[in-house]
Amino acid sequence: MLDPGELRLAGGVMLAAGLALPVLPGHPSLQCPLRALSGLPCPLCGLSTSVEETVRLNLGDALAANPLGVLLVLAALALLVLRPARLALPRAVMPTALAASWLFELHRFSFL
Amino acid sequence: MTDPSYQQPAYQPPAGDGPSGPRASFGRRLVAAIIDGILLGVVGGIFYAIDNTLGYIVQLLLTIAYLTYLEGSPSGQTVGKKAMGIRVIDFRTGGSIGYGRAFIRWIGRYVSAIACLLGYFWMLWDKEKQTWHDKFANDVVVPESAYPVQNWPG
Repeated sequence: MLDPGELRLAGGVMLAAGLALPVLPGHPSLQCPLRALSGLPCPLCGLSTSVEETVRLNLGDALAANPLGVLLVLAALALLVLRPARLALPRAVMPTALAASWLFELHRFSFL
Repeated sequence: MTDPSYQQPAYQPPAGDGPSGPRASFGRRLVAAIIDGILLGVVGGIFYAIDNTLGYIVQLLLTIAYLTYLEGSPSGQTVGKKAMGIRVIDFRTGGSIGYGRAFIRWIGRYVSAIACLLGYFWMLWDKEKQTWHDKFANDVVVPESAYPVQNWPG
């Protein structure tokens, strides 16, 4: 069982960051420590770019960075608009999404 | 010997789909981390202004001392956690995690951060709302309203 209130807040923070970060001086962003140390991308690499491009409706750039970002923006919007009282996901959804995202990033950075 | 005033509700086996007891929310934990980050950043920044290497060393030692001492104390509260009314407790006993496990928790933060903070976001879908560093130290972060603090830092 997921907590819809927690996810709504996290989704709101994500959308606000996606809108705000590109217009802040110097365009702050999180550099992946794993990639900086080893060269390998992590499952969440490309997500900040993807979310920033999705909220600006640049879907091509968003999908090229990480398709999971587009899904996360849609999920955040759904949580904020529909405000479900209960939320349950099959146990396999999160590991599968993370694994798929990682495979995409490994391919994007030519490791696969 | 543990001070009886810090006895906490003992671990209860999980029932249903939710966590086995009250847990601190993502929002409170996020704001607490921001407060602690600002505090440590300001002090470290002063030394960075003097010398980069000195600033790095002071920041590192200060962060280790701050988190180990305060999260390992009976209250389990940094300044940020105290401000947000949350605390770190042992998952099994509900008591303090002690300084050794608080140090492990500090190391665990690096593991939580290494994959673009995935270990921090983990609490959003974890059954016990634990980050990876919570799991390494076998702790949970709880609201002070459910697990009162007698003295700070205790």
